[in-house]
Amino acid sequence: MSALLQNLVNRPYKHGFVTEIESDIAPKGLNEETIRMISAKKNEPDWLLSFRLRAYEKWLSMTEPQWQNVTYPKINFQDISYYSAPKPKKKLASMDEVDPELLRTFEKLGVPLHERAALAGVAVDVIFDSVSVATTFKEKLAEVGIIFCSISEAVQNYPELVQKYLGSVVPVGDNFYAALNSAVFTDGSFCYIPEGVKCPMDLSTYFRINTEGSGQFERTLIIAENGASVSYLEGCTAPRFDTNQLHAAVVELIALDNAEIKYSTVQNWYAGDEKGVGGIYNFVTKRGLAKGINSRISWTQVETGSAITWKYPSCILRGENSVGEFYSVAVTNNYQQADTGTKMIHIGKNTRSTIVSKGISAGHSNSSYRGLVRIAPTAENARNYSQCDSMLIGDQCGANTFPYIQVHNNSAVVEHEASTSKIGEDQLFYFAQRGIGAEEAVSMIINGFCKEVFQQLPMEFAVEATKLLSFKLEGSVG
Amino acid sequence: MTLMTLPNNDYINSLVQRWGAYSVTENIAWLDQLRSDALHCVNRLRMPTSHMETWRFTDISPLTKLSFPEASLFPRDQYAQLARFFLSESENRLVFIDGHYVAELSHIDSSERIIQGNLSSLILSHNQLISSYLGKLAQFEDDLFTALNTAFMQDCACVILPRNVSVAKPIHLLFISTQSETTSYPRCLVVAETGSRASIIEDYIATNENVYVTHSVAEFFLADSASVDHYRIQCDSDQAFHIANHVVRLSKSSCYTGINITFGAQISRFNQRIELSGEGAECSIEGFTLISGHQLADTHTFIDHIKPQGKSRQVHKCIADASAHGVFNGAVMVRPHAQQTDSAQMSRGLLLTDKAHIDAKPQLEIFADNVKCSHGATVGQLNKEEIFYLRSRGISESVARNLLTYAFGGEIIDHIAVPSLKTRLEETVLLRTQFA
Repeated sequence: MSALLQNLVNRPYKHGFVTEIESDIAPKGLNEETIRMISAKKNEPDWLLSFRLRAYEKWLSMTEPQWQNVTYPKINFQDISYYSAPKPKKKLASMDEVDPELLRTFEKLGVPLHERAALAGVAVDVIFDSVSVATTFKEKLAEVGIIFCSISEAVQNYPELVQKYLGSVVPVGDNFYAALNSAVFTDGSFCYIPEGVKCPMDLSTYFRINTEGSGQFERTLIIAENGASVSYLEGCTAPRFDTNQLHAAVVELIALDNAEIKYSTVQNWYAGDEKGVGGIYNFVTKRGLAKGINSRISWTQVETGSAITWKYPSCILRGENSVGEFYSVAVTNNYQQADTGTKMIHIGKNTRSTIVSKGISAGHSNSSYRGLVRIAPTAENARNYSQCDSMLIGDQCGANTFPYIQVHNNSAVVEHEASTSKIGEDQLFYFAQRGIGAEEAVSMIINGFCKEVFQQLPMEFAVEATKLLSFKLEGSVG
Repeated sequence: MTLMTLPNNDYINSLVQRWGAYSVTENIAWLDQLRSDALHCVNRLRMPTSHMETWRFTDISPLTKLSFPEASLFPRDQYAQLARFFLSESENRLVFIDGHYVAELSHIDSSERIIQGNLSSLILSHNQLISSYLGKLAQFEDDLFTALNTAFMQDCACVILPRNVSVAKPIHLLFISTQSETTSYPRCLVVAETGSRASIIEDYIATNENVYVTHSVAEFFLADSASVDHYRIQCDSDQAFHIANHVVRLSKSSCYTGINITFGAQISRFNQRIELSGEGAECSIEGFTLISGHQLADTHTFIDHIKPQGKSRQVHKCIADASAHGVFNGAVMVRPHAQQTDSAQMSRGLLLTDKAHIDAKPQLEIFADNVKCSHGATVGQLNKEEIFYLRSRGISESVARNLLTYAFGGEIIDHIAVPSLKTRLEETVLLRTQFA
């Protein structure tokens, strides 16, 4: 393992550029005034303001968690600007009116909005910093009664739905960063699938962090009514910056009777340079509530970016026969850190959950799987299978597993397996024998290692993820 | 630390006051220093609470009400009744009753070339040797219970295996509890010099169902190529509290095989740390916990691969009946440069009722790339197909269940190489796994 792999790892971040666009930035600092300002700017109803203030009050009483297996300098929450929006030039009626600067950004990212959206059959709700500026396929979705818009629009147009579900899965005081998000979130996506509707296309949102020094506090709320189903994709890239940026999003999923929500993420935010300078702090709270009988929530994530990834997409399996799934690939390189995993809380009878987690560490990075499987006394015949495998590339990195298993019902069956391996000299030799170079061999081995997770991704994401991974690890083996 | 820990400190203070009168008879400077350092830590440290990650599932607050004093001496005329706890295979025996060494019941076979005895009898003849080992592994700076033991240990069972000595018969360290409302601080020190070999039984047993507290500490040093088999049997009374810390240090090519059996105590906690600090060191540890009623048994192990080519194997099994609560936390650490480490861990839990519960937390931390590590954990009930298979052969449901439950733990008992001990344990397991 040597020079070749080293070269491969040390590729610069491809998506590192800053788009110059006039931003409407709030002064740095957080206090009740800031929250009232955000609320007023967004013309929010009173209940939402009181929701924010409740969260802020909770947040003030909380201390930053210490148990995580990642280290970072203390964040000065008063040194963050909590609101930044592209200046609204005028109301947008069509794609042509979208800020050309903005469109160019997406070009660079390889997201030709209209064409690609049309070709791939994907409705893209573009989020640029914190405000949605363009939404496509709205009409098509509206035909079947699906609401897919930014959460600020939803607050204006469907306040009763938002009020009913917002904070119902992740309460305002759930954890330090969720409380912060609840107090200051600026925008995000809202999706409502009415009873019996199967969403005709994969829904997707492209997140992108811009404006140096502005934290992003996204809020996503997805509701699938009885018998509804939806597949939601989230892809992330961010420009290169030297100061760390905090990203504390909250994602809430609610699946009612027989409903199904599949949430896929490909995350490739700026991870800092090879010395570990800069990069995004990705501290996200993602949780799904399988509320109804036979409901199903599935998380798939491919985490390759961010200086620190710290999140546990979770499922609360309350409905009888409900199913929770978690498929994850986390790649860390250079000085990246990841502490990620899932929580499966079994409450209903005959609930089932599957966890497949693959961690790949290279360079000086450190990745941890931390998971909780909890079988409540009421969860008769609950079943869990967990598998977490790690692969180490080089001897400077670390891989850890911290699975927590709590079983309070004797009819439950819980299984956990973990293994650690490396790309062996003998494996590379085997490939070399067959005329396959080290680089390609590594890529093939890694793809084989992650296959179970990639299979869960929608087609175009799977292709992207495969590329992303070989690109990320280029130069780390040789 | 918050106000919540304040009542706990009353426990520590009261223990310290009650033991303050206890003077160190040996009057050895280094030992006095060790005790006073430990006492210093006792005064500084706080009682662990379930807010701490390592004590998350084990609430030991009931212990804070039990600041029991040291036991008085056991009446000499009743010694005879304790002979039933002796093992027929063992000629080497150190007996401690309620923490006090009893020379009359102990037996030291002089034909074997081992140095064995209690601390006070060896401290003068082997001062140098003991001072270089005692208290060196069991760190008390941030562990209250180790600090308590080090400060208050009444005595210590010392076993020193000289170079290349191989002891055929097992060495029996017997700790008997007879008195209610007492606290004892048993201590063991095992030093296996280069190439030595022995089998050691650390046996905790009670004469009746008393409430008492045991804070035990054991330190095992294995020099190059030494090999030690260690059976640790905890059959305390079901009302007792048992908190134990065990540390093993393995040098180059040494081998430690441990079996830890937990049957007794209302609340028990067993912390084990194994340091593979020499190249090619090996350890194999097996644990079997069988609990019922409202018992809580917590096993925390930490296998630390420090040097290359180490090998570790671990199996932990827990059967929880009635409202019992089993806790298992098994950490395996592979330090940077501990290449070619081979580690496997398996934890299996069996829940017999719907009120019993088990918290399992295997944990792998790996900082070297050329390693083979795996762990597995399962928690569940008896396999329905296995029960069906037995029933299809005309065995009643209850017998089938008993048979399978017995077999679940019997697997580990089978690995005990001391026949009389094995029989004793088999009988206990059989008795405890027979349900109507």
